[in-house]
Amino acid sequence: MMSVFEAAWVIARRDFIATVYSRSFILFLTIPLIMFGAIVLTSQFVDDRTLSQPQVAVAADSATVSALAGARARLVGGTSEFTFPKLTAVAPAENVAVQARRLLADDAGSYSAVFSGTLDRPVLTGPTKIEENVALRMNLIIDDARRVAALGAAGRSTAPVAIQRVVTEQAAGNLQMIRQDLARAVQGLIFGVTVILATLLLSNLAEEKTNKVIEVLAASVPLDSVFLGKLISMLGISFVGLALWGGILGLAYLLLQIVQDFVTLPVAGPAVGWPTFVLLVLLYYGVNYMLLGALFLCIGGQASNIREIQTLTMPVTLLQAGVFFLALTAVGSSGGTLTWFAYIFPFSSPLAMIAFASESATVWPHLLALIWQGAWIVLTIRISSRLFRTTVLKSSSGESFFSFLHRARPRG
Amino acid sequence: MSVSLAIEAKGLFKSFDGKPAVRGIDIAVPEGSIYGILGPNGAGKTTTLRMLLGIIEPDEGRRSLLGHERPLEAAKIVGYLPEERGLYPAMTTREAIAFMGALRGLPLEIGRKRATILLEQNGLRDYVDKPIKSLSKGMAQTIQLFGTIVHQPRLIVLDEPFSGLDPINQGRLEHLIRDEAASGTTVIFSTHVIHHAERLCERIAIIADGQVRFEGLVSEARDRLRPQVRLKTRSADGPWRRALPADTRLIDGFWQFELPAGGIEPLLKALLDGGAGIEELSIERSGLHDAFVAIAGEQAAKQMEAAERAELGEAA
Repeated sequence: MMSVFEAAWVIARRDFIATVYSRSFILFLTIPLIMFGAIVLTSQFVDDRTLSQPQVAVAADSATVSALAGARARLVGGTSEFTFPKLTAVAPAENVAVQARRLLADDAGSYSAVFSGTLDRPVLTGPTKIEENVALRMNLIIDDARRVAALGAAGRSTAPVAIQRVVTEQAAGNLQMIRQDLARAVQGLIFGVTVILATLLLSNLAEEKTNKVIEVLAASVPLDSVFLGKLISMLGISFVGLALWGGILGLAYLLLQIVQDFVTLPVAGPAVGWPTFVLLVLLYYGVNYMLLGALFLCIGGQASNIREIQTLTMPVTLLQAGVFFLALTAVGSSGGTLTWFAYIFPFSSPLAMIAFASESATVWPHLLALIWQGAWIVLTIRISSRLFRTTVLKSSSGESFFSFLHRARPRG
Repeated sequence: MSVSLAIEAKGLFKSFDGKPAVRGIDIAVPEGSIYGILGPNGAGKTTTLRMLLGIIEPDEGRRSLLGHERPLEAAKIVGYLPEERGLYPAMTTREAIAFMGALRGLPLEIGRKRATILLEQNGLRDYVDKPIKSLSKGMAQTIQLFGTIVHQPRLIVLDEPFSGLDPINQGRLEHLIRDEAASGTTVIFSTHVIHHAERLCERIAIIADGQVRFEGLVSEARDRLRPQVRLKTRSADGPWRRALPADTRLIDGFWQFELPAGGIEPLLKALLDGGAGIEELSIERSGLHDAFVAIAGEQAAKQMEAAERAELGEAA
C-alpha cells in the first residue's frame, strides 16, 4: 500500500494540474488584481471628490469675501483642500434672507449653506445637519479671518513659523503603529486569499462527487490521503497565485521607484525582523489555509451538488469572518482573555500569531504555535474523512482513530 | 488439495439506516478464476463488492483480499471498476488511465506508456490525447476499464461491467476478461445478466435479498436441475401416455419433462412398446437461467430480466 503522503501527492498533483489549466484559475488570479486595481482607482477618485465637497455661498461685501477666501487658503494649506467647504461669492441682494433661501432651494447651485453678514456679525443659513460638516469649519475660517483682520488693524502680522527638525531613526509610538498596521494588512491579505480558496476547494470536492470519481479514489487510497491531497494542491495553487501577485506588485513598486524616487519601503519593520517575519507569514498562511481548508472539506463533503455547496458558502464565509475578527483582537493587545483565546483557538491561532510576530521579537512561541496548529490540521483531516466515510459513503470507519500513524509508513 | 483464495469473506453483514442490505455473505474466490456474482438489482451485489474492497466497512463478518485483512493494503495489486463510472472530464484518455494506475502505485511515466499501448492494442490510437468529455459513454467506460488494469493487478473487481455497453463492446470486454484470467489474474464481477456469467465464469454466487443462495461451480448450479427431455411422438394419444412422467407438459407439440431418475431407456422402451412412435427426441441440460429461477426464485429472475431489458434499451 502507498503511504498516506505518497497517495496524497498523487491526488495533489492531479488537482494542481487540473486547476492550473482551468478557466476558474485564471479568474482566481485576475480577480484579486482587478479588486486591487479598483481600490487604487477608487482612492484616486476619492481624492478628486469635488462633487461631494460642501459648497457655501458667500453673500457679502467684497472685503468680507476676500478675508474669508484668504483665511480658507491659509487653513487649507495646513490641512487639505477637502477639509474645508468650498466658498463661492455671490452678489448680496437687498433681502439677503430671501436670497439665502432661494440659493439653498436652487438645485443647480448645490449649496449646503449661505454665509451673509460681516466677520463680526456672521449669519449662516442652512439646515440643522450642516452643523458638523460646514458650520464648525466655517467658524474656523471666520475666526482666522477675524484674527488676521485684528492684527492688521493693529499694524502687526505673523510670519510663518519654521520648525527646527531633529531627526531620530524611529519613535516608539510610530513603530508600534506601523507594526499594528502591518499585522492587520497581512491578516487581511491571508483572510482574503483564504476566502477565494475555500470556494475553489468546495467546488473541487463537489466536482469529485458529481464525476463519481470519489468511489475510485476511496477504493484505491485512504480517504485521509484524498483530503490531504486536495489541501496540498490548493495550497500549491495559492502559492502560485501569491508568487504571481507578489511579482506584479514588486514590478509595480520598481516601476514607481523609477518614476517617483520618493517611494521607499518603510524603515520600521516587524519585531522579529523582515526575513523571519516573511518565513512566519508563509508558514502561518499555510497552516491557516490547511486548517480552514480541512474544515471546509468536512462541511463541503456533506454536500452532494453545486447548489448545496453554494448554500454552504455563506455560513462558511461568515465563519471565516468571525475567525478573522477574533484574530484582529490580538493586534495591539497586551493580553486579556479574548486575545489569549485568539492565540489558542486553532482556527484563529495562525492569524493571531502573525500579529504576535509583528509586535514581539520573541520567537519560541511560534514553534509551539506551529506544532499546536499542525496537530489540529491532522485532527481536522481525520475527523473530516471519518465523517465523509460515515455520512457520504455510509460506512462506519472500522479502524482506530489514530490508525493513520501506522499507515504513514509505506509497507510496499 | 487446498486452493489458494484471492477473496474470502465470511458472515459479511451490512445495514443502512437500520435496514439490512447484506445478511451474512460467505464467498470464496479461488485465485486465477473468473467469478460472477449474480443477482437482481438491490440484492446486495454492490454492497458486497464495496465491503470486499474496503470502501465501506461491514457491520459484522470478516474478509480477506489476496491475504490482506485490510483491503487497502492490497490496493496496489487490485483493480476496481465501480458501477457508477467516474472519470475527470477534462483529462485526456492517456492521462486518465495513467492517473488510475498512479492511484495504485504505478509511476506516471510507466502508466502513460502502458496507457498508449492499451489504447493502440484496442484500436483506439486516435483517442490517446482526446479529453474524456469528448468520448461516448461506452468509450469512456472502456477507458476506465483500461485504468482498472493498467497497473497489472492480480485481482480485478468489476461491478456491473457490461452495463451500458453495446453488444460489440460487451464482446470486447468478455475477451479482455478471458485474456486477464488466462494470464493468471483473478476476475470477479457482478452482473444481473445471466448469460454473461454463464459464458465467462467457472464459479458463481447467486445473491438475493442480501443472502447467498448458491455458491459454487456453474456446472453445480445447473446440476441442481435435472436435464429436460423434449419428445415428439407420431401418435397423439394411446395407452403409452401412461408411461410419461407425471410432470409432463405438452408445449408446441412436444412432450416436455425432467429426465427420469432411472434414465431414458426404460421410458423409451415403454413408449415404443405402447406404439407411440418416436419422431424427435432431445435431452437438454438445464441452463443457468433455469438454475437461477430454481435457486433464487421466479421473482428474482423476473427482476433480472426486467433490468436486462432496460439496459439493452439504454445501450441501443
